[in-house]
Amino acid sequence: MAAEAVAVAATDLASIQAQQVGMKAIGAGLAVGLTGIGTGVAEMGIGAAAVGAIAENKDFFGLGLLFTVIPETIVIFGLVVGLLLLFL
Amino acid sequence: MLKPKQMSRLLIAASRDQMAPVIAELYRHNLFHIEEYVDAGAEGYEGFKIGTPLSGASEKSADLIKIRAITNAVALNADDVESGPSCSRDELQTRIERELPLLEREVEELTVRRSKLDTRVKELEQKISEITPFLNVPVDLNLYHGYKRFTTIAGYVSREVSLSVPCEMHLAKGKEKNFLVVVFLTEQKAEVEKALQEAGFQSVPVPDESGSARGRIEFYSGEIATLNKEILEISSQLESVKQKHAGFLVACEELLKSEVDQTEAPLRFATTKQTFVAEGWVPSDKVTAVTNSLIHAAEGKIFVTVLPTDLEHDNVPVEYNNPDFAKPTQVLMDVYSRPKYTEVDPTLMISIVFPLFFGLIVGDVGYGLIFLAMALGLRKFLKGEAGGQLLDVLRNASISTIFFGIIFSEFLGFAIPGWNPVIYSRHLMSEHGGHGPNIPELMVLSIWIGIVHLTLGRILGMYNHAKQDHGHHRTLAVMANFGWLAVMWGIILAIWSMAAIPLMPNLTGMPVVFAVAGMGVNISLIIGIVLILVGIIFIARENFLEVIELPTIVSHVLSYARIVAVGLSGVAIAMVVNYMTFEMFINPALENFTIVSIVMILIGLGIFLFGHLLNIALSILGGGLHSIRLHYVEFFTKFYKGGGQKYNPFGMKRKFTEE
Repeated sequence: MAAEAVAVAATDLASIQAQQVGMKAIGAGLAVGLTGIGTGVAEMGIGAAAVGAIAENKDFFGLGLLFTVIPETIVIFGLVVGLLLLFL
Repeated sequence: MLKPKQMSRLLIAASRDQMAPVIAELYRHNLFHIEEYVDAGAEGYEGFKIGTPLSGASEKSADLIKIRAITNAVALNADDVESGPSCSRDELQTRIERELPLLEREVEELTVRRSKLDTRVKELEQKISEITPFLNVPVDLNLYHGYKRFTTIAGYVSREVSLSVPCEMHLAKGKEKNFLVVVFLTEQKAEVEKALQEAGFQSVPVPDESGSARGRIEFYSGEIATLNKEILEISSQLESVKQKHAGFLVACEELLKSEVDQTEAPLRFATTKQTFVAEGWVPSDKVTAVTNSLIHAAEGKIFVTVLPTDLEHDNVPVEYNNPDFAKPTQVLMDVYSRPKYTEVDPTLMISIVFPLFFGLIVGDVGYGLIFLAMALGLRKFLKGEAGGQLLDVLRNASISTIFFGIIFSEFLGFAIPGWNPVIYSRHLMSEHGGHGPNIPELMVLSIWIGIVHLTLGRILGMYNHAKQDHGHHRTLAVMANFGWLAVMWGIILAIWSMAAIPLMPNLTGMPVVFAVAGMGVNISLIIGIVLILVGIIFIARENFLEVIELPTIVSHVLSYARIVAVGLSGVAIAMVVNYMTFEMFINPALENFTIVSIVMILIGLGIFLFGHLLNIALSILGGGLHSIRLHYVEFFTKFYKGGGQKYNPFGMKRKFTEE
């Protein structure tokens, strides 16, 4: 009787652990995906304005690039969180 | 190093008849950055006027415009011409007088003929597009016009229409809209137009042609083909002109440009009736040489002196002063902004740190070798100065990539056989021996890089403010920079005191002073909090609003985690490509070899090639952009302002002509 209970508990534990691994993977995916959307939305306006400015004055290229990549940090944070979730 | 080249302000005064030899001498040296004279009644310049060009300026300009018209017409670029044997001035001068008018006429005739033919082709194409809709109407084109009592209209309608007035109409059904031709009595025009308007009618002009629509289109197409053949012939003639005279044209342009520059130089000088005064900047180590040769050229009848430099008000031109290996990186500096004369020139630091970041991000021997091959191979195609510098930057980055590839033991995403990663592994799969990825360690390592880099940036900021500012503001600005540094280290100390992090000092075991809410507050935490508070006070003293920027301290340090994150994403792409190629296609194909296997192997190779090409493009973009961004956004905002004026000496580097 007791042995059966232990066996049931063990399989339960294994499935719970597997679920947790899956949840981590989903979390990592959400972290990268949602931050990617955030970066995209943020860069949309900046990028369009920067291209317009560069078309008028090529010297603006450096500064334009700089402004455009500023929101990139958001997705990098997402990527970092994703990596930490998967490997830590 | 770390400072722009030292400049001296030179004042040259001489009588007007010395103007030509002095200008020629200055031009030859290519060192004198002219400070343009503005007629604004500056102190000591009363009665001076802007000079007038030397004689022959307008003829030379006209010749230069002719040459440029020709080079434009034949699409000749001086960068594409190898510098051949250079011609002497006199020889060129006689050739310009003799050959230029002939050449000009020849090229002009050809271009005029070509543009006429181009217009004719456009007209014919227009006619074809007008006739095309009528292809589906089985009526000759001459039946559409020539009536006294009838009117023809044609156009597109979205749906079928029926007209209440007597008419003849043909509807050709199309995919999206239908083409309609209607012939009706002219007096009923108003009713017809009203009915058609209700059906969403869009009219097209009825072509004034005769014969069948198909026949006309074929006729015009034939004509266009002959015209295009003629255009091609003219283009090849222009090309042969370009081949034949390329050397002459670029040499002419260079000579005339130098002469125009010289004859127009007095427009930038201050002059009186008898004398002229020129001010400008010369690198300090060249002052004696320039002065001596000017005195020699003017036979002693000249006054040259060095004026004191006023760092606050003078706009001193900036010329980089870097060791050879750091010179290519100047192109990255110029993209952002040239340093001011008084501030630290960070080119040398970027030239070391940028390749390191790039290497850390890409870190793959195979990709490094490909980048190296690109940097050496593309040199033939990228001829401009900036292009060459960029390739040099890529070359340095690729060497660093190979170095870190060996450290990480990576070759096109595979582990190098028999070689374990020296410090930390980035291999996401550990089944091929070795251990799995050391993500936390790598992450902490990149945070360390960030801490060191930003600390350096803030120290440079303190130095710059100490040098550029004056008085009370100077103290405040230096203190504010120290404040930012104190807050950053305070936060770091506080984190160390509360949590143990791999590869970072563990201060959780420091003696506890008192406890708050069951949590021990130890000495290092107190020091950290004090540093944060002191820092905030320093920052707020300079500008209170800056305090809202405090979170950027954390985000800027964490931003350096991208070095690992972007690098790992590259490794992951390479790994996926390799997995697909070998595990999904090539290995199964080899296990059980049939005809289908050959196709599978080919598909596998295709995936391998395409995937790695994609990853190479992403690596250059990711590695380059993120490394430079860490400099521009995180590093430069701590100390660098830029906005210096480029040192642009009067003169040119001669490529095709002699003095």
